[in-house]
Amino acid sequence: MAKTIMVVDDSASLRQVVSIALRGAGYDVLEGCDGRDALSKLTGQKVHLVISDVNMPNMDGITFVKNLKQLPAYKFTPVIMLTTESQEGKKQEGQAAGAKAWVVKPFQPAQMLAAVAKLVMP
Amino acid sequence: MSNAEFDQALQTFFMESRELLEAMEESLLGLESSPDDDDAINAIFRAAHTIKGSGGLFGLDGIVSFTHVVENVLDRVRGGHVPVNGELIALLLSCRDHIGMLVEQIAADPSAQPDKELESVGSMLLAQLKSYQTGVTHPACAPVSTSSCTEILPQTGNTVENDLWHISLRFGQDVLRNGMDPLAFIRYLDNMGKIVHILTLPDAMPFALEMDPESCYLGFEIDFQGEGIDKAAIEGVFEFVREDCSLRILPPHSRIEAYTQLINELPENNIALGELLVNCGSLTRKELEQALHLQEVLRSGAGTGEASKLGDILVEQGVVQPELIDAALGKQKVARENKSQESKLIRIQADKLDQLINLVGEMVIAGAATSLIAQRTQDAALHEATSTLSRLVEEIRDSALQLRMVQIGETFSRFNRVVRDVSREIGKDIGLDILGAETELDKSVVEKIGDPLMHLVRNSMDHGIEAAEIRLQRGKPARGTLRLNAYHESGSIVVEVGDDGGGLNRARIFAKALEKGLVTANQVLSDQEVYGLIFEAGFSTAEAVTNLSGRGVGMDVVRRNIEALRGTVQIDSVEGTGTTVKIRLPLTLAIIDGFLMGVGNSSYVVPLDMVMECIELNEAERQETRDSNYINLRGTILPFIRLRDQFSVRGKPARHENIVVVQYAGLRAGLVVDELMGEFQTVIKPLGKLFANLKGIGGSTILGSGEVALILDVPTLIQRAISLESRVLN
Repeated sequence: MAKTIMVVDDSASLRQVVSIALRGAGYDVLEGCDGRDALSKLTGQKVHLVISDVNMPNMDGITFVKNLKQLPAYKFTPVIMLTTESQEGKKQEGQAAGAKAWVVKPFQPAQMLAAVAKLVMP
Repeated sequence: MSNAEFDQALQTFFMESRELLEAMEESLLGLESSPDDDDAINAIFRAAHTIKGSGGLFGLDGIVSFTHVVENVLDRVRGGHVPVNGELIALLLSCRDHIGMLVEQIAADPSAQPDKELESVGSMLLAQLKSYQTGVTHPACAPVSTSSCTEILPQTGNTVENDLWHISLRFGQDVLRNGMDPLAFIRYLDNMGKIVHILTLPDAMPFALEMDPESCYLGFEIDFQGEGIDKAAIEGVFEFVREDCSLRILPPHSRIEAYTQLINELPENNIALGELLVNCGSLTRKELEQALHLQEVLRSGAGTGEASKLGDILVEQGVVQPELIDAALGKQKVARENKSQESKLIRIQADKLDQLINLVGEMVIAGAATSLIAQRTQDAALHEATSTLSRLVEEIRDSALQLRMVQIGETFSRFNRVVRDVSREIGKDIGLDILGAETELDKSVVEKIGDPLMHLVRNSMDHGIEAAEIRLQRGKPARGTLRLNAYHESGSIVVEVGDDGGGLNRARIFAKALEKGLVTANQVLSDQEVYGLIFEAGFSTAEAVTNLSGRGVGMDVVRRNIEALRGTVQIDSVEGTGTTVKIRLPLTLAIIDGFLMGVGNSSYVVPLDMVMECIELNEAERQETRDSNYINLRGTILPFIRLRDQFSVRGKPARHENIVVVQYAGLRAGLVVDELMGEFQTVIKPLGKLFANLKGIGGSTILGSGEVALILDVPTLIQRAISLESRVLN
């Protein structure tokens, strides 16, 4: 069975491109448009990886990861944080919250796929 | 990724960028009045941030590199390092426009070469932004520093013989808890090249009782072969566990000293580890002996090995990078609690919606036919069933039409920027008041109303609102006010553009119209009729006519646009205090509630909202009004028009006639018809080209019986009734 990845970003086009790339590589994809939306969609189903932006409306990525790690079902779910090079501080905050992997924005779909492959094989 | 999918995503990007840029503009304009609004600053930052991030995904480098600098400046604004002032807002607005142009340029032609003019604007803006930047732009640095470690190893001694990379990997205990799968990394490594040999080291594994199943105790010794692989690439594989593991990488043909050091540093028993390395083929027996010997030497020496501990250096490399973002960042809060719009909305292609509306229209017609047949059969049960059906059809019709309704607020708020920019340009201080932004109207109407509104707003600003000195002389506040307002009124929507400027000068307009031959000298016209003259095509104001100069520029185009939407335009003005232009538009262009009337064998429909009442024209009144066109309706004069005469309907007049009283834009008139057939759901079908210019008819519709009924153009008929009446009176 294909592994499931949740993509959380407030940009619909980014989600669209990342989803297309991930599906092409054989993963199943769930989408959330911000932290709150993502949490509402994570209801205990198995998710193998979460990719989340930092800067989002309603609930930012750091708060989202902190909340996610409180949920027993997602305690050990790896998280890739989407940071920008000017957000070194955010990266460390994200790591403290439990997002140990990161991809620097702007990125190409191939870069994202490489990062994902390091964490979960399709 | 297939091209079609990519194109679709690209379209999403364009749409998203436009929305973000609009939000950015709105927030920037908001900052003018409240420069400390953190939410607005965050929203602006996020817009730039998202456009940059998504733009990069599509490889739109031009957008990324420009937006990057804007984002950088915004980040400093957010951190409180750069104060918000008018100058910065103006610059950021220009930057926002520039990003918009870049997006539109690619939207128009994705393969287009960078536009020279656009580029020069871009570099000019970048130069201006520079003063707000940190002074150092951050190059897009790689997340992991990649300096090679080979240089720091002693340069003397022998090298090992094989051409394999040697990787020593010890995972930290928290690796599993952090959600990382050690095997995933190793598999990824294997995809890059070939793992020739791998040894699993369970040495750190405690006794079963002490073992925590959530902890990782394993280490790996890997011999790896890879074409064109460098050290950074291998480090990159383990990038996400750098802080959770100890990683030592020896390149092919490393010096034996390196191995010595390696063995020395690893926690396992030295001799045993050495044996392992020999077993897995990394080292030959001889090399191992050399290594162990060297180890002794180093230990007895000055401890130079200590100084260049590979592990230390590696760890150091993983941790660096100073904090770039101010602690203020942490304060970033998401105050707006409204559930994000996006999760509530679904995007639908407009043509799908149009198709739905068309189908609903057909269903309305088919439903009417069914009802008609049911009535004829006089089967009570069937009658019951069809009446339920038609009620449901009506609800579906309303819901379907509701889908196309959008608030006019979005169109209005665009004028915030226009008013701001134009008032600077012409040197007047003008504020904008927006009322009724939540008023809804059909999307197709909203799309077409923008241009006429723009014309009217510009005209009001250019010529309506006076210069500050004159305003003060006239006892008005120096700041002029422009007002956009929208509200519903009897089945139509009214959009007003008002100003508190000088107003129109009736005498001047009349004189001008006379000169242009639009009116004759002895014509008696109401104020509104005179003001309406400025919408005439010939009413050019090329020569300045002081306080109304330019009022006519393109005004005929405005009226034409509005009439194309089946709307009307009207001007109220009081000289010295202001002018209000009222645009009246139908709520929808598709399906309406109509009122069906019969004259002879023909059927006619008027929009139900315009019908005020129906009265019977009794025999006495018929005799009385034989030669006139008005009756006394409860003490007021009601002009009327005989549809039988108006449309030359053949056949004898019916024994009973009725008057349907209709109103539009504050005017009333009666329509004399034979038969009143009641409410009717009317699907508006446009008239063919041949009939497009017929006066008094606005469209057609199909009845349940399959016959065609004409939809009357009430405003025109009312005008006609009134003019007939005045002719008779004169």
